[in-house]
Amino acid sequence: MICPVNAQGFYGDQWSLVTAIVLGFFFGFSLERAGFGNARKLAAQFYGYDMTVFKVMFTAVLVAMVGLYAFVSFGLMDLEMLWINPTFMWGQLVGGFLIGVGFAVSGLCPGTSVVSAASGRIDGLMTVLGAFFGTFLFSMMMDWVPGLGAFINSGFQGRSLLHELIGIPAPWLALGVVLMALGAFIGAEALEKKFGKNFEPVPLTPTGGEKVKFYLVGALALVALVSGLAGQPELVLPPAPQAAPYEPLELAEAMIRGDADLMVLDVRAETDRETGGIPGARPAKLDPTTEGLLGFAAPGSTVLLLGDGNAPALPDSWRGDLDYRYLRGGFIAWQGEVLTPREMNGGSLAEREATRRQNQIAAYFSGTEAKVESSAPPPPAPTGGGRKKKKAAGGC
Amino acid sequence: MHEKNYWNPYLAGLLLGLTLLATFLVAGQGLGASAFPKRVVALAAHEAAPAWAESNPATAKYVADGANPMKNWLVIEVVGVLLGGFLAALTAGRLKRGVERGPRISVRSRLWLAFAGGAIMGVAAGIAKGCTSGQALSGGAALATGSWVFMMMFFGGAYATAWFVRRQWI
Repeated sequence: MICPVNAQGFYGDQWSLVTAIVLGFFFGFSLERAGFGNARKLAAQFYGYDMTVFKVMFTAVLVAMVGLYAFVSFGLMDLEMLWINPTFMWGQLVGGFLIGVGFAVSGLCPGTSVVSAASGRIDGLMTVLGAFFGTFLFSMMMDWVPGLGAFINSGFQGRSLLHELIGIPAPWLALGVVLMALGAFIGAEALEKKFGKNFEPVPLTPTGGEKVKFYLVGALALVALVSGLAGQPELVLPPAPQAAPYEPLELAEAMIRGDADLMVLDVRAETDRETGGIPGARPAKLDPTTEGLLGFAAPGSTVLLLGDGNAPALPDSWRGDLDYRYLRGGFIAWQGEVLTPREMNGGSLAEREATRRQNQIAAYFSGTEAKVESSAPPPPAPTGGGRKKKKAAGGC
Repeated sequence: MHEKNYWNPYLAGLLLGLTLLATFLVAGQGLGASAFPKRVVALAAHEAAPAWAESNPATAKYVADGANPMKNWLVIEVVGVLLGGFLAALTAGRLKRGVERGPRISVRSRLWLAFAGGAIMGVAAGIAKGCTSGQALSGGAALATGSWVFMMMFFGGAYATAWFVRRQWI
């Protein structure tokens, strides 16, 4: 594995930003040369007489897709280290449609508007300014529109990849997409001929060169075929969520603070639950039935499992974007380390400080008076014994 | 300077695809564009109303813990896009002030529509967690399921709208 290069520790942040400017340069350069600094050229796509947007975009997708999965197949690229857009089905469905609406109205997308503005076009600059305004509007909407935050995080499927969904190795799917794209390119050119009679072509549009697609598709199909045959056709499965331990005292502190991004699930057997539990913990099971409950957790928040005190085996189907933890030692440790006051037996200042804090915590959770020194601050006010409802975090 | 023709679309797509592939291999992520307005807005909001910016779900994560939202791979990448677009236009003789529009629309209306379309996309990029570059292009090439849904809906939305704004273009 030599890729991604930035994960190898050869260089630090500063050089990483140098790669950003170089790669961005080529991105902008190729967009401009494709004609994507010109809103008319882009908008022509939707009137049928110039399919350049489709051709350029799909060619780019094919090249990067075949190349990426060739590197993966030959063991040169670690796909786990590549950030791939997680699937949030409903947000992508609605947001994708609206981006299309905005694209037809402005003739540009957020990326091409930068190129358009850079080449001196005032309409490009206006689209850039509009995008700033819309972005600001969206953050206001996150406050105003109830349920928007939950909506954009709905339909979450984590890292969902098409070839895993279908169940075939990526190079074979890539080969299929390449061959379908060839058909689509031929169809697009036929449409251009049909509608081209009604419209003047956009100035500077090149003519001829249709043969290029056959060379390109042929080369890509060959690369996909070779990587499909020679590569290890292993399906890369998303890593099953794993839980790390969580200290009882740490949990007590988090509960006193009222940490909003902490959900406590009591996954013990019914009979164990009757012996007592942790305030605010929700009863749940270590199986897919709990997924609904997990849907309430904001991405990246902590889900603490109260079980037998050992690392639990998590169901594969649980969301992969949460930080799963288990209470070390289970309820017995909670009783012993949190609910039981400790003797103040000399020791260093730090040790006495820790003991005093622990006794405050014990008093807080068990309702008994602890031996608190006069100067000690009282523990924070109770949080109502449960998890506070929080606004959905995340956004984009 | 004489204006050069645009490139053959398949060759332009090849360079774009190789750039995206290099981005995957070097940076361990894809290309993007809408991160730029998102982070600029977060920065501006944080200057103007720090408490709001730190609590708003759309801006909070960019300014949390005193982070500088501008020190980010995608932000610097967009600066590169600006430079690349500028130099490409300059060397092709296309660098000039102007407004691209169809023959049946005034400059003023065109500029307002450009702004409105940008605003719609600003909101939409928040809803979709990305735009054409980050979702359709980068996520699509990595075979991400949601990104292909995005791509189909993107073309669907644009074709559905094209008839209503035809006076702007044709």
